[in-house]
Parts: sequence; C-alpha cells; structure tokens
Amino acid sequence: MTIVEAFKHLNDAYGINLSIVYDPFDRERFVHGFLMTLLLSIVSMALSIVIGLVGAWLLGGRSRLLKGATTGFVEAFRNTPPLIQLLFFFFAVSPFLPGAVNSAGQVTPLIGGVGWAIISLSLYAGALNVEIFRSGLEAVPSATREAAESLGYTRLQAFRHVVFPLAFRISLSALNNNMVNLIKTTTLAYAIGVPELLYASAAIWSESLNVREMMLVMLATYLLLIAGYTGIMNRVERALRMPGTDV
Amino acid sequence: MFETKLTARGVAIAFAAAAFVAAVSLAHAETASPAAASILSLVVKWLPLIFTGFLLNLLVSVLSMAIGTVAGVPLGLAQIARHRVVQRCASAVTQFTRNAPWLVLLFLTMFLLPFQFRLFGQSIPFPAWIKAVIGLAIPVMGNVSEIVRGGVLSIPRAQWESAESLAFSPTQTVFKIILPQALKRMLPPWMNLYAILAMATPLIAIVGVQDGLTDVRGALVAENRTDLLLPLYATLLAMFFIYCYPIAMATRALERRAEVKF
Amino acid sequence: MLSRFGKWAVALVVLTLACGHAMADDTLAKVKAAGKIAAGVKNDYRPWGFLDPSGQIVGMEVDLAKDIAKRLGVELQLVPVVAANRMEFLTQGNIDMIIATMSDTPERRKVVGMIEPQYYASATNVLAPKSAHLHAWTDLTGKKVCGVQGAFYNRGVEQKYQADIVSFAGVPDALKALQAGTCIAFVYDDTFIQSTLSAKDPQWADYEMPLKSEDPQPWAIGVRLDDVNGPFGQFLSKTSEEWHRTGYLIDLEKKWGITPSPFLVEMHNKYAAK
Repeated sequence: MTIVEAFKHLNDAYGINLSIVYDPFDRERFVHGFLMTLLLSIVSMALSIVIGLVGAWLLGGRSRLLKGATTGFVEAFRNTPPLIQLLFFFFAVSPFLPGAVNSAGQVTPLIGGVGWAIISLSLYAGALNVEIFRSGLEAVPSATREAAESLGYTRLQAFRHVVFPLAFRISLSALNNNMVNLIKTTTLAYAIGVPELLYASAAIWSESLNVREMMLVMLATYLLLIAGYTGIMNRVERALRMPGTDV
Repeated sequence: MFETKLTARGVAIAFAAAAFVAAVSLAHAETASPAAASILSLVVKWLPLIFTGFLLNLLVSVLSMAIGTVAGVPLGLAQIARHRVVQRCASAVTQFTRNAPWLVLLFLTMFLLPFQFRLFGQSIPFPAWIKAVIGLAIPVMGNVSEIVRGGVLSIPRAQWESAESLAFSPTQTVFKIILPQALKRMLPPWMNLYAILAMATPLIAIVGVQDGLTDVRGALVAENRTDLLLPLYATLLAMFFIYCYPIAMATRALERRAEVKF
Repeated sequence: MLSRFGKWAVALVVLTLACGHAMADDTLAKVKAAGKIAAGVKNDYRPWGFLDPSGQIVGMEVDLAKDIAKRLGVELQLVPVVAANRMEFLTQGNIDMIIATMSDTPERRKVVGMIEPQYYASATNVLAPKSAHLHAWTDLTGKKVCGVQGAFYNRGVEQKYQADIVSFAGVPDALKALQAGTCIAFVYDDTFIQSTLSAKDPQWADYEMPLKSEDPQPWAIGVRLDDVNGPFGQFLSKTSEEWHRTGYLIDLEKKWGITPSPFLVEMHNKYAAK
C-alpha cells in the first residue's frame, strides 16, 4: 500500500481527511501557501529593518521636521490595528494610485495583493523597529561616540563603525521578538486574498470539508516555522555575544 | 521635557496627516460625483453603528485581557517553579500559546469549540463573541506568563537570599517580597500587551463576530460607494488611535520612571 | 524547543479530535423549548441578505427565516455567516439552520442536511468589465479571477480552466478588488451578478455577465445531519413546499426587485398542480 493509499484509507475508514497528502491539487496549494508565507516574512523583515534603521537615524538627526515626521509615522502605525492598516491600503488607498494598462485595455494596479501585504507589514513592523533601534542607540554611552569622534571618526563613520554595531547587538533580542511577531502577522494577508499558508488551509478546509485536520496541520506548520526562526536567531545571538556585557 | 514636546509634535503631525487624507478623499469625491457633498453626512449617518461595533472591540479586549491575565500569572509562576515537571509543562504551554499566530488561534477556537456546553444536564450557550474572547485570551495568557517570569527573574538573587535568611517561606518570599517589587517592572509590558491586544480585536471580524470593522464593511456594502472607502476606514483607524495612543504614552512614562528608580 | 512543540502538537491533536460534534437532540423540540431559533444568513449578498443603517440584516432570505420563526411561534436570532464558516457554525450548534445562498452539492451533503424542495437556484457566471471582451470560459485561462472563499465552484474553475482564483472572505472585498483591476473577472452566483447589474448602478455600467452560466445548483436550507429526516427537517420541508405552492417565493422575489427566476416558476407550477 502506498502512502497515498494509506491516507485515502484513513479518510474512508476513520474520517481523518488529510487531503494534502493524497490529493495533488490540495498538496500543491498548501506548499504554495507555505512558500508565500516564507516570502512575505523574509521580504517584510528586510524592509522593516531598513525602515527601522532609517527612522532611528532620522530621530537622532538635527532636522526637527524630519524628527517630527518620523515620530508621527511611528505613532500612527504603532497605535492602530495592523489589519485595518492593511485593508486601508489595499481597498482604500490602492484605487487612488496610477495603474498600468494590460493587454485587454484594463487598468490594473501596479501593486497587487502580495505587494500591499509586504508594504503594510513592513511599515507596521518597521514603525516598531524604529523604536527598538532608537532605544538601542540611546543605550550606547555617549562617551563611546565621543571617544570615536576624538579618534578622528566623522559622525557618520562613528555611527557606522562604532555606535551602530553596539546598538544593533543591544537591540537584537527586542528585534527578534518583533520579527517573530511579523511572521505571525503575515496571516493577516489572508484578508486581502494573498494565498499564504492560512489562506491555502482555509481554501482546503472549506472545499474538502476537513476543518479539524487542516487546522492542526496549519498550526503545527506555523509553530515549526517560528521554532526554526528562533533556533537560527538563538545561534546568531550567541555568536554575536559581547564579552563582559549582559548582551 | 524635550521628549514630551517631540511626541506632542508627532501627534500633531499624525492628526494633520489624517486630516489631509480625509480632505483628499473629500476633494476626490467632489470631482467624482455631484452627490459628494453628502459624504460627510454619510459618515455621520453610519458613525453610531460603527462606534457601537468599536465598543464591542473594547469589551472583547478587556475581557480577554482579564481572562488571559488571570490564567497567565499562575502559569508564569509555574515557569519558575522548582518542581521540574511543573516548570517544563508551564514553559511548553507558554511557548505554544505565545508563538501561534493570533488569527490561527481565533480560527481554532471559533471552529473547534462547541457553541454549547452541557453541564449537569443544562446546556449553556457559548456564543461566537465569547469564543472570540477565549481565542484572544490564549495568546494573552502566554505573553502574561512570560512577563511574570521575566519580572520575577529581574529581581536580584540577593533579595531571595536575604528573605530566606529572615526565615520567609518560599511562598511568602514570592508574594510578600518578590512580586510587589516585580509588579512595577511588569506593569509597562503588561500595558503594552493590552494595547497590542486592543489592536488585534478587529481580527474577530474575520471569523464572523460583528465588530467595528464588520460595521464599516456593512456600511460600505449598503451605500455601495467607492468614495466612502477612505473616510470610513480612516474613521475606524482614528477611533483605535485615540484609544491606544494614551495607553502607549502612559506605558512609556511608566517605563521611564522605572528606569530612574532602579 | 522543537520536541516540546512536538509533544504539545500531539496532545492538541488528541484533544481536538476528542471534541465531538454530537448534538443528538431533536432541534425542533429544542427550539420550541428555548422559544428561539438561530438562522445563519448572509449580510453581504444584496438583496438576499444585507445590512441596513440601523445594523439590522434584511433581505429575501431574512424574510424566509422570519417566516419559519413565525410558523414556529419563536423568536428569530440572525447570525451573519460567510461561505467559509456557515457549515462549522451549524455543526457546532451556533445556528440551527443555514439560509445563506448555499448550493446543494453532493460534497456538502456529507456534512450538512439539505432540505428538499430547495427554495432557489443559481448557476456560476462571472462579472467582468466590458473592456475585457470575455466570450468563453476558456478566456479565463491563466488570468486572475476574483472569488469568494468557500464557494464550491472555485476549485472547478481553477482546475477546468486553469484560472488563477484570488478569493476573499466576503463579496464586497471581491467586488472592490475587481473594480481596482486586481482581477479580470469575478466568479460568483449568476443570481447575484444579475441583480447587481440590473440595479442600474452607474459604477457597474461598464460591466457585463458575458459567459454562459454553468453548473446550475439549487439552494437549500441546511440543517444538521441528524435533523434532516427528523421532525425539524420534515417541518422545513413542508414549509418550503408551501412557499412554492402559494407563490410566496415569487412574491418575495418581486418585493426585493430580483429578476424573476425560471426555477421558481417551474417549482410553483409543479407544486400548485399537486
């Protein structure tokens, strides 16, 4: 008996319907969903870190206008529900942007569901990262920076070679927490029809009518994904440990 | 002082941005259709319903926080228990409930919990919104557990040792010496968690509970007008902002005070 | 860390599989004793079930639910559902019946009881901008098509015509995505598309229902499997028959301004002749 047959039998005899194993259509959907979740997570992580760094840099700068704008951005995104932000972007903002014209002469948006999900997730996680990096930068003693500058470093050089590496290491554990949250938040993309893991699972269970089985498979997949991420990051944190400090 | 001025300016800018979005959408509507002047009146017309829905969001957030906290505190204490099995189990439950996506947990409670409980031959109804409360209370429990663990562990070992030398029992030490001190450190992350929870409540709309978000979407269907999208979503965003921002301010103020103290 | 998760996953599997669905009592007796019946209806499917400004759900199917409650002499509780959750709501006991544009399919009959005679019927079609120049279902191949999660034909359209279905939780989201150009067409019930187009709303002036309707399916009231042959199922069956015989459904269709459906005329003739 092949594995496929075994799982078909499991369904017929015991009503445990793991259609993702024996049904190629469901399996493909599930795998695609998983890959989409990975894609959303990785791209949004990278962008949110860039946003966080730029924001923290602006907050430490001299321009009052830029500082104010950054603070406004951080507060607006930190204090409103990410789901509504996503819907706001996808349904309310998107129609105002110029679109491209496709072969059928239809105006299609330049940014699709996946694009908006990435933008929205990056902005939300990025706003939180600004705060994380800012407090990391504040934790670097000003004497350290002054020492670097007295050694002839310019402000940018001192930032790049001395202050930032220290601040980044200090921020790392808070950053990791936020990134785990980001992975979990990718589930919101479900609401705008992005075929990620939750969407794929929901599509499977509402058509193959196997809610319990799919729910558990999906939950286990998310837990493994997050366990994998924290496993990697624990190694990174250990490798970057700074002797003589708490971090 | 400098800090508060900066944040105040940030808020002013955030509000200005919101006003700008509203103005742009109004102006756009003006050019799009002659009936555009009524857009404000349409928002006003649906405002009571949306606000009622928003109140349900708040109610759900308060109840979930209460249940999650009541369940999370003992779980957190169990995480630092001396008993190996208790400690292992508690930390496994904590990890599990902290790491599962909130929306997935909501789906789980929504679809897999029955809508009625039988207790002593009586059937007790268990409506969808209460299931949503439980679905959100689960991750709150895990996070509270971590906050409690972190808070207690942040108290220097010397405090335990001196309590022991003063002949306090372990239970007495926890409740009379450690917790009162740890509480101060646990309060800011706990409040932060509450703000995150409040902002997660619109997720219940996805699993079919009629909250503020459902009402916004209902209004959009009933009016069937594209030009209402921006103003109505912005209205709901503003409600959450007005509620969550003061909490965030208070949390930061407490954090700063704690920093000075210790 | 990993093995810890593993153990808990296993415990969870056992726990949830143990969570039974069993609601063995007769629903009719339960409803009468409680003086209340809960009906799952749509709130995004104008004019069958939609919200009015006071937050009430109204529409043709809501009228049907009201009629059932009136006949039973009980209070009606309306619970908004979507395609993706209505059957779980029913089996878990949140609602006593589904009157939510649910097509009667063999797959679904394994999970819920379908009341005969069915009270309405629809087929599958698409709403598309005229500029898309769709003529046949095969024109959808490789194109993005918006849909609603849990609709039974999504899979068929995806497999038969290799369309790329982007499905949303509710109808309004799918329509907004269509208008925004996210997809070339919106695949849904022809009844809904027809009533959207016939409302003469300027925002749909440049849209059409260009294809030949496919896969006609009747809509049935859904009940729990144990109820379908029990007193509750028989009561609903009789009620539905009466709706057809007296022309009540045809009247409701008029009241809500729905394009007359040949299915109702045929059913009316069949039952009036009896």
